[in-house]
Amino acid sequence: MTAIGRNEVLHVARLAALEVPDAELPQLVEQMQRIVAMVDQLAEVEVAGAPPFLAGPAKAELRADVLAPEPLAKPPATFAPGFAGGFFAVPRHAAMEEE
Amino acid sequence: MIPHDIARGTGSRLRDAESQGLNATLAWSQLQLDAEAARVAEMQATAPLYGMPVAVKDNMVTTDLPTTCGSRILEGYLSPFESTATERLRAAGALIACKTNLDEFAMGSSTENSAFGRVKNPIDFDRVPGGSSGGSAALVAAGVVPAALGSETGGSVRQPASFCGVVGVKPTYGRVSRYGLVAFGSSLDCISVFGRTVADAAKVLGSISGHDPRDATSAPRAPLSGAVPHLDDLKGLRIGLPREYFPADLDAGVRAALDRTAATLQAHGAELCEVSLPHTKYAVPTYYIIAPAEAASNLARYDGVRYGLRKLEHGEGVGALYQQTRGAGFGPEVRRRILIGTYVLSAGYYDAYYRKAQAVRALLAADFRNAFAGGVDLLLTPTTPSPAFKAGEKADDPVAMYYSDIFVCGISLAGLPALSVPVGRSEGLPVGAQLIAPEFEEDRMLAVAQVLERALDGAAEVR
Amino acid sequence: MTWECVIGLEVHVQLATRTKMFCAQANAFGHEPNSLIDPYTLGLPGALPVPNAEAVKLGTRAALALGCKVHPVSIFARKHYFYPDLPKGYQISQFEEPLATGGQVWIESPERGRISIGVTRLHLEEDAGKSLHDRLPGRTAVDLNRAGVPLAEIVSEPDLRSPAEARAYLTLLRQLLVYAGVSDCSMEKGTLRVDANISIRRLGETKLGTKTEVKNLNSFANVEKALEVELVRQVGVMESGGTIRQVTLLFNAGTGTTREMRSKEGSNDYRYFPDPDLPPLVLEPAWIEEQRASLPELPDAKRERFTSQFGLPAYHAATLCAERPVADYFEGTVEAGAEPKAAADWILETVLTDYNESGAFPVAPERLAALTALVKDGTVSKQAAKQVYGELAATLESPRGVAERLGVVQVSDTGALEGWVDEVLAAHTAEVARYKGGDAKLIGFFVGQVMKKSKGKADPKAVQPILQAKLG
Repeated sequence: MTAIGRNEVLHVARLAALEVPDAELPQLVEQMQRIVAMVDQLAEVEVAGAPPFLAGPAKAELRADVLAPEPLAKPPATFAPGFAGGFFAVPRHAAMEEE
Repeated sequence: MIPHDIARGTGSRLRDAESQGLNATLAWSQLQLDAEAARVAEMQATAPLYGMPVAVKDNMVTTDLPTTCGSRILEGYLSPFESTATERLRAAGALIACKTNLDEFAMGSSTENSAFGRVKNPIDFDRVPGGSSGGSAALVAAGVVPAALGSETGGSVRQPASFCGVVGVKPTYGRVSRYGLVAFGSSLDCISVFGRTVADAAKVLGSISGHDPRDATSAPRAPLSGAVPHLDDLKGLRIGLPREYFPADLDAGVRAALDRTAATLQAHGAELCEVSLPHTKYAVPTYYIIAPAEAASNLARYDGVRYGLRKLEHGEGVGALYQQTRGAGFGPEVRRRILIGTYVLSAGYYDAYYRKAQAVRALLAADFRNAFAGGVDLLLTPTTPSPAFKAGEKADDPVAMYYSDIFVCGISLAGLPALSVPVGRSEGLPVGAQLIAPEFEEDRMLAVAQVLERALDGAAEVR
Repeated sequence: MTWECVIGLEVHVQLATRTKMFCAQANAFGHEPNSLIDPYTLGLPGALPVPNAEAVKLGTRAALALGCKVHPVSIFARKHYFYPDLPKGYQISQFEEPLATGGQVWIESPERGRISIGVTRLHLEEDAGKSLHDRLPGRTAVDLNRAGVPLAEIVSEPDLRSPAEARAYLTLLRQLLVYAGVSDCSMEKGTLRVDANISIRRLGETKLGTKTEVKNLNSFANVEKALEVELVRQVGVMESGGTIRQVTLLFNAGTGTTREMRSKEGSNDYRYFPDPDLPPLVLEPAWIEEQRASLPELPDAKRERFTSQFGLPAYHAATLCAERPVADYFEGTVEAGAEPKAAADWILETVLTDYNESGAFPVAPERLAALTALVKDGTVSKQAAKQVYGELAATLESPRGVAERLGVVQVSDTGALEGWVDEVLAAHTAEVARYKGGDAKLIGFFVGQVMKKSKGKADPKAVQPILQAKLG
């Protein structure tokens, strides 16, 4: 388990699409280090052969292929922050035009 | 009392709580209460929860009151669909009284992480009510409502129940549908119930439990009956006390309360014995890998595109939209957990952290199974390592805050049912005892909790 | 320097279900934007997935049609990335434990003949919505109708060795999946999408070269074209001493060229983990077997049977079996009494033209069979029969009725034929003498004259023996 530093925190923040203001970074890194040090205790546990834990039922109950959509009490236009012409609208970014 | 009067009375108590500065509610209105009353008045008075005002933690979606999850990112969000639990409450004749304050997205153990201010413990305003379901716990403790829904991921109903001196019941994972519960740790989340009494909590639990085809993790079982089996005595009952939950440095007040509880159980004929749950010390680290990982994933949907907050103040393009919306919309604890969760799932770390944690989780669950298989019917432990701490006391130390869940989160990881029942006060502060049952055996722990409730004065000083 | 090209294809097919993969909203095309939505499709707080039984069944049948082993236990996993048309910020897919692995299909390679191509895996997942970049000025418009539609992702082993083989593989894949009834596999409609991976290495080298990914392919022809273009590029780079960078390229069908996508920082870390909202997908082995047993006869087996049971040449059998409706039409015609070869000839020469144009068979198999019977017994000539066929689509009349109405019923009545033969022989005594003198070819002339005399109505097959008898 490697120590988590400034670069790892910034990398993870990018993966998580979270803006971290520079001013907050040092304290955040320190807190993350403490948390990671705490969870690193698991390294000492011997788990050979233990299967992963299954929280719910052992098998998925499948749904019949019948049209029965859950109704929306109000349409998206009433709660979407950017809705135009029947679409969810977001600012365009050049790199997105590629697919 | 007729529903209309109940609505008026509830509204008046909510107003009082507000003016006292309890800050336990995030949304309520007399108009909505009156509408609830009108609806209930049309129902048969024999409905199981007829006329009962029930507060609902603000992470269960309702169509008549907003759902914010205590977060700026959902401020003002009115869900266009209803959660199963609140739908069932209403169908049982309850009045949804209000939405209660919580740690943001249910992440916290003190309800100090809400974007809308902390909740005060009604017993002592300088102290925390516990979390994350602090608002629900406080309203029940303050006598505003007889029961409230909360949710647990790592103890977020039992712990506040203990801090506030009320009953808090967590059912087996899958017992209550998660449809409409805003997901935090999907393999851990359980809608749970606060009650002034064991009977009230059990009644509410009965009405909301039962299989729901809209939740694929919902257990294929019938609802709980809602009635608490009556026990004259506890002869033949074997109760295990796990030694790892009674450390030498346990708070003296908590120890005294648990000693009193144990003695009461014995006096009623129960046989007590020591057991061991050897992996207990790994419960908190295991929890703080799995829960943040699932949370990071579940909170990826809050991106400013389809609902909720949207923020773009500098830069351009959708990437900047995500970063700023999420950076501004989530509070510090939520951001920390998203970062930890993303880290433990990321390439190169998944095996050592998330996969490992799920394996350790299996060992923790096996500890409990083995203890029960060894011949005990229930386990008895303290709910919390100490009574309610002061607001701000742990705010700067996330790890210290995490360890306040030490006696409750192992049970969450194992998916077992457990409850906290008030068993005394230490220097005026409530102390709860925790009963843990094998999976799907809620009735047994409710029955024993009711015996304790009747035998003990939960508000009596223990020291 | 001889280069070997190594190609693998990732194909996504939309499964032909009524509803989406994890919610009961419609799986449909061409509706008003954002009308096929619900709490789950929108990724609203509190919504949960519930798997579609029919999607599981079709995915299973697809896997079996591709020769895969279907696993009794498979796990849904979350694949994380941020994009406006991905409502939850993750896609529910399958990762470490997919529905099926280890399949194999046989293609006709233009270069290598009949070869087997491995199918690494087939797994179930949900589709994303659509992002439209030119609908709203300065903004991207997101339509979530398609979000949540069930997909089967099919990954081939890197066994393809040329762009032409890639095309052949896709053609076969489509054929098998349409045969199995799991999808309509249309690139035009977007129910089948292809991403290609291509690398090169020196011939004889066993290690794989660095691969590039080619996307934005909208037809099988363009897949072949794009891979040809990329192959040339890679060879050019390597031969000038460069190295191939692992990039993603977009194909522009208009210009026939590829260009590199603006690179995202680093490759995606999808942070896969088992979806905690979904228990394991558990299938009874007996049920899987039932799906295998109830698959329709697949093209290879049908082709084999058509050659052995009906004695058809391999090429004809292959054409008839290319699409199941055509094969079924052929068998329907044979079952109604037509001779296999005649039925095959009719379909290959005439019926297929209509089918390829309209997707329909204008003439029912029983009527075609009746028509072939009329040709066989000499009632109409082959040529006249084509005329009759042309009318059959517009009328409920029997083929015989149409023939009679058109006046093309051939005469085989010996009396009438003898009469015409006698007239012809009487009118061409010089030719008769030459024939009797050894000019056997003149028999054709006489048959022609009888046809003329009978205004085309004589059955030439019946005329010939009568002529020969009379000529001696």
